[in-house]
Amino acid sequence: MAIEYQKGHGFLHRLDARTKLLLFVGMTILAIVVVDPILMGLLFTTLYILGRRSVNPKLLNSNLRVLIVVFLTFAIFQIIFFETEDSHFLFYLIPFRDWIPVTVEGLIRGLAVFFRFFSVVLAVHLMLYTTPPVDLALTITKRDQSPRRDTEIALTLILGFILFVIAHLVRAEDIRALPFDGWLRTLVIFFGALLAAYLFQKLAGHGLPPEMGMALTLGFATVGLLSKQTEIIMDAQKARGYDVKPRNLIRRLQVFAALLLPIFLATLERSQDISVAILSRGFDYNIGARTYRRQLKFQTQDYMVLAILVLLLFGSLYLNYLQLGNLMEQFVLNLLNRQ
Amino acid sequence: MENDIEFRGVSFRYAGAQKDALQAINLTIQPGEIVLVTGPAGSGKTTFCSCINGLVPHYHEGELLGQVIVRSYDTRRARIGGLASLVGMVFQDPDSQLVTSSVVDEVAFGPENLGVPRTEINRRVTEALSATRLTGFEEREPHNLSGGEQQACAIAATYAMQPDIYVMDEPLANLDPEGRLQVLQVLIDVAKLRQKTLIIVEHSLEEVLPFVDRVIVMEAGRIVRDGTLDEVLAGGDLPRVFTRPAIVRLADTFGLDLKTFSAEKFYADLTARKPLGMIEAAAAPAPVMGTSSTALIEFRNVHFAYKGQPALRGVNLTIYEGELVAILGRNGSGKTTLARHIIGLLHPAQGSVIVGGRDVARTPTHELTQQIGFCFQNPNHQIVSFKVRDEMTFGLKAHNIDPGEFEGRIQRALELVDLLDVIEAEIFDLGKGQKQRLALASVLTLNPQILVIDEPTTGQDPQMTREIFDIIKHLNDLGTTVLMITHRVDYAASYAQRAIVMNRGEVAFDGPVLDLVADVDMMRANALELPDVTKLVLQLRKHGIPPWTIQYEQLEHYLRLLMENSHGD
Repeated sequence: MAIEYQKGHGFLHRLDARTKLLLFVGMTILAIVVVDPILMGLLFTTLYILGRRSVNPKLLNSNLRVLIVVFLTFAIFQIIFFETEDSHFLFYLIPFRDWIPVTVEGLIRGLAVFFRFFSVVLAVHLMLYTTPPVDLALTITKRDQSPRRDTEIALTLILGFILFVIAHLVRAEDIRALPFDGWLRTLVIFFGALLAAYLFQKLAGHGLPPEMGMALTLGFATVGLLSKQTEIIMDAQKARGYDVKPRNLIRRLQVFAALLLPIFLATLERSQDISVAILSRGFDYNIGARTYRRQLKFQTQDYMVLAILVLLLFGSLYLNYLQLGNLMEQFVLNLLNRQ
Repeated sequence: MENDIEFRGVSFRYAGAQKDALQAINLTIQPGEIVLVTGPAGSGKTTFCSCINGLVPHYHEGELLGQVIVRSYDTRRARIGGLASLVGMVFQDPDSQLVTSSVVDEVAFGPENLGVPRTEINRRVTEALSATRLTGFEEREPHNLSGGEQQACAIAATYAMQPDIYVMDEPLANLDPEGRLQVLQVLIDVAKLRQKTLIIVEHSLEEVLPFVDRVIVMEAGRIVRDGTLDEVLAGGDLPRVFTRPAIVRLADTFGLDLKTFSAEKFYADLTARKPLGMIEAAAAPAPVMGTSSTALIEFRNVHFAYKGQPALRGVNLTIYEGELVAILGRNGSGKTTLARHIIGLLHPAQGSVIVGGRDVARTPTHELTQQIGFCFQNPNHQIVSFKVRDEMTFGLKAHNIDPGEFEGRIQRALELVDLLDVIEAEIFDLGKGQKQRLALASVLTLNPQILVIDEPTTGQDPQMTREIFDIIKHLNDLGTTVLMITHRVDYAASYAQRAIVMNRGEVAFDGPVLDLVADVDMMRANALELPDVTKLVLQLRKHGIPPWTIQYEQLEHYLRLLMENSHGD
């Protein structure tokens, strides 16, 4: 099923397109960083509740239901194949032959994997459901001729700081191994982080050239139309007497081939129509100086969402740093050891 | 004053084409002129428009001779984008020129390209939407608008760019009568409001002529007539190229003012010249319905809804063997939904459809197609091959017809639609009218007992429209039962016997087509365009001219009688 933009005025709809893009990126990083199934489950539930308030729950559920099976399979693979030397054995999946051992660690990680995949996919769904494709394309298109100096510096500083902290949390041992001491070490790390942030900011801030951004926008607007056209063509074929779903496999291939030509022609025709239409409306007037009616604007709620996201990221990194990243596993193992 | 547009000996030949699309065109158009360009399909009207906004030669490749000057710019040296700020172009098919996902985005697209500042864009969008009566449609998706609204949106998008010249290539062709009126009004408003030059290409002269200053008639790439409205009307008709509206021709015959475009004016002018008497009312024609009593298609209390939107509401209909039925009504009144039920593309939510004794809901579509031929509005949607012969064979193969019969059936079907000469041709080389006839022929190879045709004449010139109707009539004479969805009441009235008018999913009228035409209230209530002849007959009814008069010749005859009678008074 296609994930199409759903009109609405929910909380997610009101967020800036860039916030939602970052929310998706943030959830992906969190899904990598967080190992604990309860924490991941909580994150997933929060996101899901947020989604239900903005998107029709029926639609959301029907789309996610299909994925449960897929991710359960992933999770089961994790349960089955996760095996380390000191893992705690529970039972064999195929009892009498002693095949495929299931361990406590495997179960817990399987559960976590399930929520991790699901959170990332849910984040994509929510982003696509609540953001007009045009806005999404705009977020990654270069628009202003000259980006403002101060915002550039501010962004670099913030990013640099984040990288600096992350470096200390994640790679503490490597840092200690560096051939500098004390404040010099901190300074080197800080400038390294700043440089990386500056480069990243430059690259990300550059964006797509406007031609490509517009191509994306126009493409998004065409998808619905083309699928409608495909439906008409299939009906036209049915009306000409083709059994569109014959039992014979070879016949089915033939029918499919007969559909391809008109669909291909219709698409070709459509793309030509579009080029004539946009040229006639001045598309090549001066693409570099193009202006945009749509304005992306950060509001309080956007800053709040981003702040929470950053906090969560630091929090989970810090937990990992303190060796508390997988509380549930530790808790269960403690229980087992006490017996 | 400087010319807006100047063509200096312009000829153009598309790359790979055999003939010139334009031949030695010379003309100038002054600022503020409203010009109608007309002529049969393939006469070069669209190429002419493309020359003005630079699509020729910059997008369509080919050989361009001579010079096109638009506001002192040579189009050969200008870019399309630059010309777009001077020339606003609106095309025939509204669906294919709307490129974004909301009406506001669509209208803002042009000004954005021109680099207009944001606040100014917002101002222009508001202004353009109000000029085209689309205020309140801002967030709607262009592809879900009605045809008239879509075309209005395309015009708004051009208007917001504030061009000096508007070029409209058959802006009314794909619309129903209600939409046509809406768009025409918008067009004239826009041109008059800004005092801009307007070039409008159109076949339906009745509607456009009253508004234009100048008429250019084209044929085979040449300008065959060019002059003020008066001059061109006085020049008479050109067979197969330029036929004046019926009222103008009658005005000419009876020596009235040639700029007579309304039946009221005609009647007033005629009675002003001499008081009219009465003629003996001829007997009503015997109803031709009920030629057969065998019911072929039956709708029994059929209900249907698209996503909760009712599309058919309790339809009861019986179509008898051998009938030629015209299905009329507004866009969205349920005509196509009705037709789709006959062949099982849709199944009734309630009630049943019986075709030839079989319940459609229980019979697969591909079995129904052995008996029913179905032609879609756009022939491109049903053509599956590159060559005419392959296309003709395809249906035969799908139905496991004996290959020995192929040749005979193909020959016969192509002969019926007069396409035998292109049997070996590539489909890409066929014109629009030819493709439509090919789509029909490929259906005819299966010798269907019933033929369902969805708007076969959309966007075709009067000559092609007449050809298609002639073919359909011929098939009906051979015994095929025909159901035809159409907007052309005038043609339906002269070809069909029975008319069904749909209104909001219900059958509003079902009876002899001549009764429908005479029922003015029914026609108006369903936005059906009264044919010119009918409009006149309505005025002349009180003088004994029978209300079922539909043919031009008939009316002319009655008028002559009337004039002679009053002469004797």
